[in-house]
Amino acid sequence: MITAYKCQHCGHVMYPYHYRCVNCGAREFETFAPSDKAKLLTFTIIEQLPWGFDERGRVLGVIEFTNKVRAMALVDVDADTDEVKLGMKLSVHWEPVRDNYGEKVYGLVCRPA
Amino acid sequence: MKPVVIAGAGMIRFERRDEDSLVDMLAMAALKAMDDAGLGDHPVDAVVVGNMASGLFNHQVSIASALVDKLSLYPAAAERIENGPASGGSAIKHGYQAIASGMADVVLVVGGEKMREVIGPRATDVVAYMSQPEAEYIYGVSLPAMAGMFARLYMKKYGVTPEHLAQVAIKNHAHGLLNPYAHIQMKITLEGILTHPDSVVGNPVVADPLRLYDCCPVSDGAAAVLLTTPEIAQTLGKKPPITIAGIGQATDTHALHEREDPTDLKAVTIAAEKAFAMAQCTPGDVDVAELHDAFTILEIAESEHAGFFAKGEGAQALVAGETTLGGKLPINPSGGLKARGHPVGATGVAQAVELVWQLRGEADERQVANAQTGFMVNFGGFGNNVIALVLRRDS
Amino acid sequence: MRIDMELESYLRPPDTPMPPYPAKVITLTTGSKMVVRQVFRDDVPKILPAVRPTLDIPRDYYDVVGARLYAELLAWYRYRYRDVFCIVGQIDGLLVGLVNSRMYSQETGISLHTLAIERGLRIGAHLFAAKMEHHIEYLGQDEVLITAESPIGFRRWMIEYGLELREGQHELGGAAPYGLTREMYFNSKHRLVAGERPVPQDLMEVARREIIVASEAAITEKILGAKRRKVL
Repeated sequence: MITAYKCQHCGHVMYPYHYRCVNCGAREFETFAPSDKAKLLTFTIIEQLPWGFDERGRVLGVIEFTNKVRAMALVDVDADTDEVKLGMKLSVHWEPVRDNYGEKVYGLVCRPA
Repeated sequence: MKPVVIAGAGMIRFERRDEDSLVDMLAMAALKAMDDAGLGDHPVDAVVVGNMASGLFNHQVSIASALVDKLSLYPAAAERIENGPASGGSAIKHGYQAIASGMADVVLVVGGEKMREVIGPRATDVVAYMSQPEAEYIYGVSLPAMAGMFARLYMKKYGVTPEHLAQVAIKNHAHGLLNPYAHIQMKITLEGILTHPDSVVGNPVVADPLRLYDCCPVSDGAAAVLLTTPEIAQTLGKKPPITIAGIGQATDTHALHEREDPTDLKAVTIAAEKAFAMAQCTPGDVDVAELHDAFTILEIAESEHAGFFAKGEGAQALVAGETTLGGKLPINPSGGLKARGHPVGATGVAQAVELVWQLRGEADERQVANAQTGFMVNFGGFGNNVIALVLRRDS
Repeated sequence: MRIDMELESYLRPPDTPMPPYPAKVITLTTGSKMVVRQVFRDDVPKILPAVRPTLDIPRDYYDVVGARLYAELLAWYRYRYRDVFCIVGQIDGLLVGLVNSRMYSQETGISLHTLAIERGLRIGAHLFAAKMEHHIEYLGQDEVLITAESPIGFRRWMIEYGLELREGQHELGGAAPYGLTREMYFNSKHRLVAGERPVPQDLMEVARREIIVASEAAITEKILGAKRRKVL
């Protein structure tokens, strides 16, 4: 699962890691895990994927967890039949998102909650 | 800071150029700019090359050194500048700084990219290397995908429609037909790309809501400008010098999800403000602009963020014809990235070349009448590193 | 040249009756209308000159595709290739692309070649789709076997239609064959198959009147891009 960072000085929440707080520049953070629920802030349906993907209709989005962490994620729906809507509620999992010549790469995978 | 002018400009046609190596293309464009300036045997102090991915596309690095050799310009100083799709704009900035600081008198700035050496999806992957590695790249995100996520929100917030996007493409294709250097020489119609049912196949989705004709093509090409001091430009005496009046640059968060408001292209706003401040003028003074329309939505968004139109009014201005040749503020008379093409490292320099031609009155059928002040935005990453320039012909 | 019809009867393959392909018209992104219609044996001599220039163009495997397509058309014309069909695209009569294919059996089709003469308008994609449309919807076949010589088109078809790898060899004896089933076709149809029927009479008349073939120089230029003036 991803690790999120909360600035000990100003409380700003960040992911991924920055050496200085995005908001105030301080350098001490507490780590925490995002929740397992999020909402969909925006998304796209990719028909033409980069090299390494032999598929079409891949849905990627920016999600916001219930505890304010934001991230990009794969939305596991059938782009041709299921409805993807802005603001929809999602459950978030840590699963393979890509196959790197046999090595599975893990990332955030969301499903309609 | 000492003043800096553009004394020469040139480019080669952007398209698929199988026969020309990357350094060949850089050399051809460089010679055009040097000859355009009437440089003759005058020494060149430095060569700055704007290029994003020569190592990945073409298996060659240190290409600025290679270019110096190709042109036999030793012992000129030389470096490659990399800023993603803003490499060209950044290369101009570095050339400017060399002269403004007094460290150089004549600087050759060349932008180029040879992308068609690899198959389409590989080019998409290489361009995606700009994304945040652990939080974005792993998902198979592409630049069109990031633009698609941005477009969805921008269109919702400001009422930009698919028809507005189509009109950007139609306008820029029409401009491209007037530009012999443009990659795409093709008239398109609203029926053909949007309203007719057959457009589902002819203009397929790339990254929803963006379709094929919302995305710039993959091109090979190079463009160059010759920077120098006003005094040297006067002694060369061949063409009216164009002053680099303002430069502004700004960065923003790497990952798209960390933008406070993902529809706010802060780096564009700040870069433009800085460029106008340095040039001591306002958006209202601009006669012609070259904006970075890698995706049609970006032309509309940049026209607003740069200060030409209020947020949400860029699309109306487009539909009213204000940004078409003949309108109040022609945007992308060259055809923009959409029709002129987008060899990544070349674009920023090609934008400057077009502005130089416009400001000198050399833009032939694309000429914007009485153009005196030009403006360009070169958009790096997905808006996390933007450079803006104001160019001016001093009367 | 007198043909010994008795010997011919040993060499000519029997022709399976094939329902005709109903012509359609496609609106391209330029606004131009492309008539997509079936052509027959007697049209081959008019079409061959369009294919010939490709033999000298190695880029994107035009030469391999062109050479094989030329041979297939010629063999079909001379009654040495069985159950072939050919569909062309014409804009104002000008030939802008063609596809050929054949029925291997009642159930199985073999996709042969796709040649786009005008580039940048997705003509290859439109005509390839028309070929699949004919196999599945009008010839009523269950599956079409597909392969390709050029990496550009092949990967696109494989992903866009969701093709599945098949055992054995494709007739062309190159890369592995991929299968398009009826189900895959109908799942993708709304995204990949365009066109309106019937073709307006005036457009059809122009298309039927003459298959206009551009000059060899023009075709080479269309495929390779215009020869840049030295100054550019």
